[in-house]
Amino acid sequence: MNPKRFARLFALGLSLTLGTAAAAPVELQFWTWYLSPKFDNYIKSTIDAFQKANPDITVKWFDKQDSMVQDFISSVNLGGAPDVLNLNIDETAKAAQNGFLRDVGGLTSPALLNATYYPQSIKNFTTNGKVYGYPWYGWLNEGVMLYNPDLFKKAGVTHIPRTTSELLTLAKTIKDKTGAYAWVPAMKDPNTASFLGYFYSEGLPIYDAAGKAAFNTPKHAALLQQYVTLYKGGYIPEDVVRREAFQIATELYTQNQVALIVGGPQALTRIKDTNPALYAKTAVTSAPLGSAGVQTGGSMDLVIPTASKHPAEAAKLAAFFTNNANQIAFAKVVPVVPTTRAAQLNSMFRAGGADPIAKATGLVGSSGRYINPGYKAPTNSDDLYKNLNDNVEAALLGKKTAQAALDDTVAYWNANMKK
Amino acid sequence: MRASWRETLLSYTFLAPALVLLGLFTFYPLIYGSYLGFTQYDGARFAHGLGPKWVGLGNFRTLLADPLFLTSLWNSVKYLLVVPALQFASLAVAVLVSRELPAMPFFRAAYYVPVVTSISLAAVMWEWVYNRSGTLNWTLKALHLLPQGAAFGWLNNEHTAFWAVMLVTFWRGFGYYMVLYLAGLQGIPEELNEAAILDGAGSWQRFWRITVPMMRPTILLCSLLSTIAALRVLEEVLVLTNGGPLNSTYTALMYVYSKAFQGFDFDYGLASAAGLVVALVALLLSLANFRLFRDADGSQG
Repeated sequence: MNPKRFARLFALGLSLTLGTAAAAPVELQFWTWYLSPKFDNYIKSTIDAFQKANPDITVKWFDKQDSMVQDFISSVNLGGAPDVLNLNIDETAKAAQNGFLRDVGGLTSPALLNATYYPQSIKNFTTNGKVYGYPWYGWLNEGVMLYNPDLFKKAGVTHIPRTTSELLTLAKTIKDKTGAYAWVPAMKDPNTASFLGYFYSEGLPIYDAAGKAAFNTPKHAALLQQYVTLYKGGYIPEDVVRREAFQIATELYTQNQVALIVGGPQALTRIKDTNPALYAKTAVTSAPLGSAGVQTGGSMDLVIPTASKHPAEAAKLAAFFTNNANQIAFAKVVPVVPTTRAAQLNSMFRAGGADPIAKATGLVGSSGRYINPGYKAPTNSDDLYKNLNDNVEAALLGKKTAQAALDDTVAYWNANMKK
Repeated sequence: MRASWRETLLSYTFLAPALVLLGLFTFYPLIYGSYLGFTQYDGARFAHGLGPKWVGLGNFRTLLADPLFLTSLWNSVKYLLVVPALQFASLAVAVLVSRELPAMPFFRAAYYVPVVTSISLAAVMWEWVYNRSGTLNWTLKALHLLPQGAAFGWLNNEHTAFWAVMLVTFWRGFGYYMVLYLAGLQGIPEELNEAAILDGAGSWQRFWRITVPMMRPTILLCSLLSTIAALRVLEEVLVLTNGGPLNSTYTALMYVYSKAFQGFDFDYGLASAAGLVVALVALLLSLANFRLFRDADGSQG
């Protein structure tokens, strides 16, 4: 063969191979948590938009429910780990501590991260000085207060409670006058340390300056004692020792057995489905706050596992899903709180309206910068949280005094916080 | 007559599928799991791709020092109280439904339904039974067994939660053992009962002097199964009380489950060690069971 011709053919072949190699489509696995089937349309349309903007990346989407963490751990073992994973604050901290996640600061410049998201949101997903997630949608625990005006009228309540201490007195009034519970506090939500949030909202510290647990001062004990007294008097549903407070509240509210729910507006979506008559009557106002005037909240994020084989593309997908435009679009579908800085300027959150969901969204949508769980998850949190919950339960059931319960918890925490 | 090598080969070929499945899904996990009990294999090692690290008896020392594990073990042993109640009730009812009366097939089927009901469904139902304003309290009030205003949630009280969960286990296991006893009752010759009736024996005497002794092998089998099942109770607790008020329903396998499967802080080594301890207890109790029900001359053991 003519050497020149051969050279040209060789060059053509080489460039074709390289060309296809360069344009070889990358397939990303994307796992979300509890978003299907309700938000299928939103997720699918966002993925389509991403794929259009990035023709060489295809996204395979799976939604996980209860088995999210277990499935992820198995997938790391079997080699099919997702490239982008949806977790929350606690789980991100635990996964990062154990080495399952990549440092996001290495994939997206810290300057860009700081410009896009609220500083507190980034802090929520920082462990040991490194950021491990792209902040996604959030919620405020004391987001709004929804209440049943009929029950309020029946109990003769005219003043809407604005502080948590008013809520505590309201618990007695409403139960005595109407037989319904006033509200359901999150005494010991399974697998979390929900009661620490109440300390935080009253301005009581969880850790001392040296980082050791310090929530057993007399002030802390007095606060716990207030709830214990209410529980013993039957003013709080006794199922709080067994189940998650938000679930109990939403179930009982639709049965007219609870007068108000303090929490994220997403309860309204459930109430709308289950009891439309009550939904139409429900009044929405801002949530009562503790004496410190702060709110606690939670947030989801998108993380990149260490086991992902395409971190650069995964970072693109995660950044796309969590950017301002897409978080706002999600907030239009369901009342969640965006964690992007630009969200607070969006006109959608200025509007009010008569519809409870619209009103609630307006109230909380621009408050993403406040989302703060109230305490930093300690290492070894599973055991420590269980110990806290066991001790709170002991206090509620009268086995220990509130002070003794907190003393025991603090002792256990300080002995078992792995460094 | 010795089997030729071809027959031996044929036999093993027929055995092979079952052996392979057993090997892969029973023996291998058993051996590997036991090995893990002596290693340190937690989330951090796993995430970094490191394998288990041999630590000998380290996990067992941790277990002994953990009051939660000791509580859980004690709860599982306490759960054995369900075994005699379950066996006696199943046997008695089996005797009753083995008679050829009208509608007996309906009863046999009806008693078996709880066995095949999914535990999540059963849990939702039983939650409503045990609820403060649930059917149990309503029934007790109607029968005047509960004073006014004394209604309480049976699953939220540390004294009653354990027995409430045990009742659910009883309800689920009842039909299963009843069916096994029904099969065993077929092996008792009718002539014995007829002879006893002619001799003037009452039904109670017939039950204790004829039925129970002749059912000895079946009773041994059922007690053995029931004992091991009682030690391994997990599902009822998980869906009803999640460990229960003040850990009163926290069983040994709940400990294993929480150490192995609840999140990124898992510890397979510790969970496997706990599982080994439960297996050891089960083994000891099974041996005791055998000695108790072994026939005097060993002919039916």
